[in-house]
Amino acid sequence: MAAPKFAFLLLNLISILPLLVSSFSVDRPTDRRILVLLDDLSLKSSHSLFFSSLKSRGFDLDFKLADDPAIAVKRYGQYMYDGLILLSPSTERFGGSLDVEGVLDFVDSGHDLIVAADANASDLIRNIAAECGVDFDEDPSAVVVDHSSYAVSETEGDHTLIAADDFIQSDVILGNKKIEAPVLFKGIGHSLNPANSMVLKALSASPSSYSTNPSSKLSSQPPSLYGTAISLVSVVQARNAARIMISGSLDMFSNRLFRAGVQKSGSLNKYEKSGNEQFITELSKWIFHERGHLKAVNLRHNKVGESEEPSMYRINDDLEFSVEIFEWSGSSWVPHVSKDVQVQFYMMSPYVLKTLSTNGKGLYHTSFKVPDVYGVFQFKVEYQKLGYTSLSLSKQIPVRPFKHNEYERFITTAFPYYGASFSMMAGFFIFSGVYLYNK
Amino acid sequence: MARDLGILIIAVLVLAATCESAVLSPVSESHRSAALELFSPADGSYGSLEETYEALKTFKVLGIEKKHDIRTSSCASVADTLKSTSSALKDFVDALRVNSILKCELNSEAVRGTQSRFKDSLNGANSLIDFYYSIGGLVLLKEQMSEVDVNLGDADRIFRSIKALGQSDGRWRLSSNNPESSNNAAGIALEALAGVISLATPQIGNSLITTLKNDILKLFDGIERYDDGTYYFDEKHVGARGHQSPLSSSASVVRGIAAVAAATSETLNLPGEKILGLAKFFLGVGVPGSAQDLYHQIDALSYLENIRQVLWKLTFFRALYNKAHPDLKIYSSDLDFVAALVRVSTVLGSPAPTLSVRLMQIFVSGSKDASVIDQELKFDAVSGMHVLETLPKNIDVGSYVFSFEVIFHNPEHKKTYVSGGRTRVLVHITGVIKIDNAEIVILDGDRGSVETQKKLKLPGDNTVALSANHLQKLRLSFDLSTPFGNAFKPHQAFLKLRHENGIDHIFLVGNSGKKFEIILDFLGLVEKFFYLSGRYNIQLTVGDADMENSFLQPLGFVELDLPDAPEKATRPPPQAVDPYSRYGPKAEITHIFRAPEKRPAKELSLTFLGLILVPFFGFLAGLVQLGANLKSFPKSTVPSTFAILFHLGIAAVLALYALFWLKLDLFTTLKALGLLGMFLMFVGHKTLSHLASTSSKLKSV
Repeated sequence: MAAPKFAFLLLNLISILPLLVSSFSVDRPTDRRILVLLDDLSLKSSHSLFFSSLKSRGFDLDFKLADDPAIAVKRYGQYMYDGLILLSPSTERFGGSLDVEGVLDFVDSGHDLIVAADANASDLIRNIAAECGVDFDEDPSAVVVDHSSYAVSETEGDHTLIAADDFIQSDVILGNKKIEAPVLFKGIGHSLNPANSMVLKALSASPSSYSTNPSSKLSSQPPSLYGTAISLVSVVQARNAARIMISGSLDMFSNRLFRAGVQKSGSLNKYEKSGNEQFITELSKWIFHERGHLKAVNLRHNKVGESEEPSMYRINDDLEFSVEIFEWSGSSWVPHVSKDVQVQFYMMSPYVLKTLSTNGKGLYHTSFKVPDVYGVFQFKVEYQKLGYTSLSLSKQIPVRPFKHNEYERFITTAFPYYGASFSMMAGFFIFSGVYLYNK
Repeated sequence: MARDLGILIIAVLVLAATCESAVLSPVSESHRSAALELFSPADGSYGSLEETYEALKTFKVLGIEKKHDIRTSSCASVADTLKSTSSALKDFVDALRVNSILKCELNSEAVRGTQSRFKDSLNGANSLIDFYYSIGGLVLLKEQMSEVDVNLGDADRIFRSIKALGQSDGRWRLSSNNPESSNNAAGIALEALAGVISLATPQIGNSLITTLKNDILKLFDGIERYDDGTYYFDEKHVGARGHQSPLSSSASVVRGIAAVAAATSETLNLPGEKILGLAKFFLGVGVPGSAQDLYHQIDALSYLENIRQVLWKLTFFRALYNKAHPDLKIYSSDLDFVAALVRVSTVLGSPAPTLSVRLMQIFVSGSKDASVIDQELKFDAVSGMHVLETLPKNIDVGSYVFSFEVIFHNPEHKKTYVSGGRTRVLVHITGVIKIDNAEIVILDGDRGSVETQKKLKLPGDNTVALSANHLQKLRLSFDLSTPFGNAFKPHQAFLKLRHENGIDHIFLVGNSGKKFEIILDFLGLVEKFFYLSGRYNIQLTVGDADMENSFLQPLGFVELDLPDAPEKATRPPPQAVDPYSRYGPKAEITHIFRAPEKRPAKELSLTFLGLILVPFFGFLAGLVQLGANLKSFPKSTVPSTFAILFHLGIAAVLALYALFWLKLDLFTTLKALGLLGMFLMFVGHKTLSHLASTSSKLKSV
């Protein structure tokens, strides 16, 4: 009786198993389920290249109007989505229970976010961006204008369609393949909060750009945003590895600009296709953790010549340290190869900081001598690299001084003292005999 | 130098067509390539007949010769569907639709069978979808097979029962027990009714057709409008068939109206503005990304052309201006347009009838003043373009709004075409702006006398090196003028000073007429500069949408000597850290171990060891010298045994000390020493008392 029941249970478990595996987990950091909030459902078709590139990479997109009353990202305390795409620049309020705090909580719990603003972006979108360290130009009618690096166009002459090619120099964020064609951008600019060290400019404006209303003359005040301080697209990687992309342009995701040809003013290079598709696709790969996600395993240390991990080191011991670091490639963990992984031997401040050498297969190792200071130390690997999730590992290990019998004996310098004692003792022995029995 | 340029190029760009919205091109190559991309059959056929029809229809409207050879497989699937008795009504209709384009050779038996199916279901129909498919099927049969009898005897009854599902606002319900009405359903109902009208024998009464026309007009009352004159049919309800996008419901309505217009062969007198607005809506979608959206867009546009042809105007300007004598004064009439082109076509890109385009008015952008011009554009039959050959006077570099109007040569065309009245186009006339008399000067604060003066070449390489203190002023001035010598005020004229540590200060350069001048009084700016002395790089940016030679130029630097900051001065704001230096490896740290104690040389210690041993040997020598002996060692057995044990004991204690030094610890040593001590006490006492008694005996003797 029991056996069939058990088999039935097992079958059930097996059928659930793939579901468990395909959802977001530490072992598979790539997102799966993404909620897309739109101002207008026609964006689904006008921006379909972007969405279909996401779908073809295996994402499960759930489209909703931004004011749909049924929007909920959380049910019974569990998030139903791994990522959120807000292509709803003009939405003043989300439908349902979602609000700014809801979006921030979503990010705080390690989920990813893409926000696209546009001219006349709503306060809601501005607030979300401001919480991420990105300040959009406060003038609601301002857009980025650049009279020196605009995209040459037959139909647009006010230089608000910008051909931007100042990308962040990071292979992990933008992929190995260089983006040749400039990216077309039409929208508003933002500045980064200098106090926020998490936010990075992924696409910067050129030095001649400025943020203004192109249809009105500048008043006596210079524009608040100008030059390379303007960021067109910024990315944030939070400490919990949540990633955020903030773009001042909704159009840059559109099929029209994906397919458009581009020629930057003053340049003779004409590109058949703008860099938008490559830029957005590569950036979204990074945002949704298809790239740049690291994990460290097997942090090990031992005395030189031994293989067991000791519970304690003595000062001046020689030790070996190793750790394995792997990188998520979107489908599997591959060894991470880098020359700048460092380990610290740390008590209040690092006593030893050493760069690890690697075997190219993910193993990083080094050896060093334990300092002659005793106390409770830590092995610390604080690995922060542009575009990668940060690794922060530590392992505590006490270090003791020499035991009383571990000090050096028979020191040559002390031989006169030893000689004195023993000659004294020998003399005493002889003297005692002579004294007692002399006649 | 700029003034030596023999040829000035003035490119005139168009920002926007109708009502200053973004330019929408009519259906073009990009639609064709998108269609081929979106409707690409997977291994020789499409997923369903519906998809096949959508693909074929789109290709047909776009005039694409079939690239994908799907005829054989599709015809086979059409024949299969028609033969099968279990197929749904919808599949029959889709099969017939595909057949209407592909013209497959069909077995007339099967067709006759479907005809009876359609008629049966029409008799039993009670929902709009049933009516739609069965009537649609009959209409298709009538078109394709002339021999089949599809005429409806009780057309009036059917007409009325469909009509009963209509709402007062022009929308339709899908069935009588579903209260929700929609525009999408209205389109379906109109198509069905049009089918009834075309199938009816005898003809449907005029009164019914009139009410139908009223329904259509009512439907148009509920149309949604955007600010830019775009009209569309929105769908509020999310029905059982999922959310209908505005595109699909607008397309459905357009299809319905076109069907009615074709069936009744009457003019519907639809408002031209709304038709134009609908065309704008369909074109405003751009190139849709999904196959179905593309079908809806292209299909609707093709039907829209049947209702009323919408004329679409596209304006291009390409102008060359030849300036032969740069030093001569130039008048506006010298501006010689090679071409300013207006192309008029229908939404689907086919050529317009004979008409003329007139330039009516020119506004200076941003002001209401209009110069009224009534100039006809010349039609160039080869390119199909209307050409503006001479530009009106008083046009200089700047932004203008040109207003064009289309006038039909044949007044009959006014009824069949919608042209949308006047079209306003924002035109940027750009040119190379002359920059003269550029100089940068350091002035002495009190007297205003010139301290240093440097001429600048703009645009060009400049590296001035200036120095100033807080009592002096910096003046930058230059003149800007258009090729016609008029003053030009660019939108962007910034002077930027950037301190070595990366803090920027930006100033607007103001103008009076042609002359642009900025005076920086450093005394008033010390606070703003955070009292930071040092090198400031100077950068000048002049740019405008209408300026061909917008530039960003580093001019050099000024070394500022500012007073020290007082206590309460504001600190400079923090600068963003460079992301590339923020990460990356840190400098290695190696622990500095405590240096080992200083020790004397080994030889020295050994020498001293030898010296230490000297007294011991001296002592031994002394003993020998004094003739030390052991003659009083007890002779008798018992005392001698005790004496030997005593001395062995002492030797043992001393050996224990040596062992303690070599390896034993204190506790073992003390334990052994205690035992040895007791033993020594005993034997010592025995030995010493024996020695004492012997010596006292000797004394007493």
